[in-house]
Amino acid sequence: MTDCGCDKAKAELEEYLHRELSDQDLHDVEEHLAGCEDCSHEHRVGITLLERLQRACQEKAPDELRQAILDRLDGVGV
Amino acid sequence: MLVLEAPPEARELDSWPMDDAVEETAPEAKRPPAELRALFEEQAIPFMDQLYAAALRMTRNPADAGDLVQESYVKAFAAFAGFEQGTNLKAWLYRILTNTFINSYRKNQRAPYQGTIDELEDWQLGNAESLTLGRTTRSAEAEAIDHLPDSDVKAALQAIPEDFRLAVYLADVEGFSYQEIADIMKTPVGTVMSRLHRGRRLLRELLADYARERGIAVPEPTRSTT
Repeated sequence: MTDCGCDKAKAELEEYLHRELSDQDLHDVEEHLAGCEDCSHEHRVGITLLERLQRACQEKAPDELRQAILDRLDGVGV
Repeated sequence: MLVLEAPPEARELDSWPMDDAVEETAPEAKRPPAELRALFEEQAIPFMDQLYAAALRMTRNPADAGDLVQESYVKAFAAFAGFEQGTNLKAWLYRILTNTFINSYRKNQRAPYQGTIDELEDWQLGNAESLTLGRTTRSAEAEAIDHLPDSDVKAALQAIPEDFRLAVYLADVEGFSYQEIADIMKTPVGTVMSRLHRGRRLLRELLADYARERGIAVPEPTRSTT
């Protein structure tokens, strides 16, 4: 059990959140998070921000726009 | 012209479904126009809500967002014969949207152009890299972010530099991989990571400020000099 430490974990938390880490780094960060309350809290903030952004940005295109686009496509030659 | 390039190497976690689909001629070129039109309507039009939401983040107002989406769809349809079926249509559409925004809209928007934002030092951006946060602070921060109204979250997004905003939006909201974002924004993956990191940092600070203005207790972090 070789913990990678807070510095490495914190540096890689964002890539971890976005699932960009290699298997080895992923494993290291997960192992560290399991035992480190401080980094887990930091990760929790990261997840919360991501989910909050997703919830806030759920606009629907207006129906007029949809219709205007479909109408314009009829005039475009391919 | 608008064909996405394959990444330099295969990725382990997010496989990019375009690896060997670059050099071939698109078979769709031979499709009859009516069939192409039906295919476009079936495949590309369903992304309209997402593209519109992204366009709102880019232009920051509904009228321009509508125009941008419309122009992007017209361009996409005109180029659709060259789109390789089976590759990533969503990323292809986002690339067209982003190109269109940069070429048509950004020029007309706010001067000065923020193109040198990546070169700014962290202290110039008020970056919180050296802040020491305690556990209580982080719990309060997560709680506050979670409870702020959508209007605050959108206002915070609008307030951060455009390149940061777009990187954060593409990663966090749209779930694109770093390589896909690099292709969409035409920038190296390292720049994407830096924009994401700084953008998310700025968002956290802004949201904490908004929360405090609303009377939600988020303790001020302590500046550390180390």
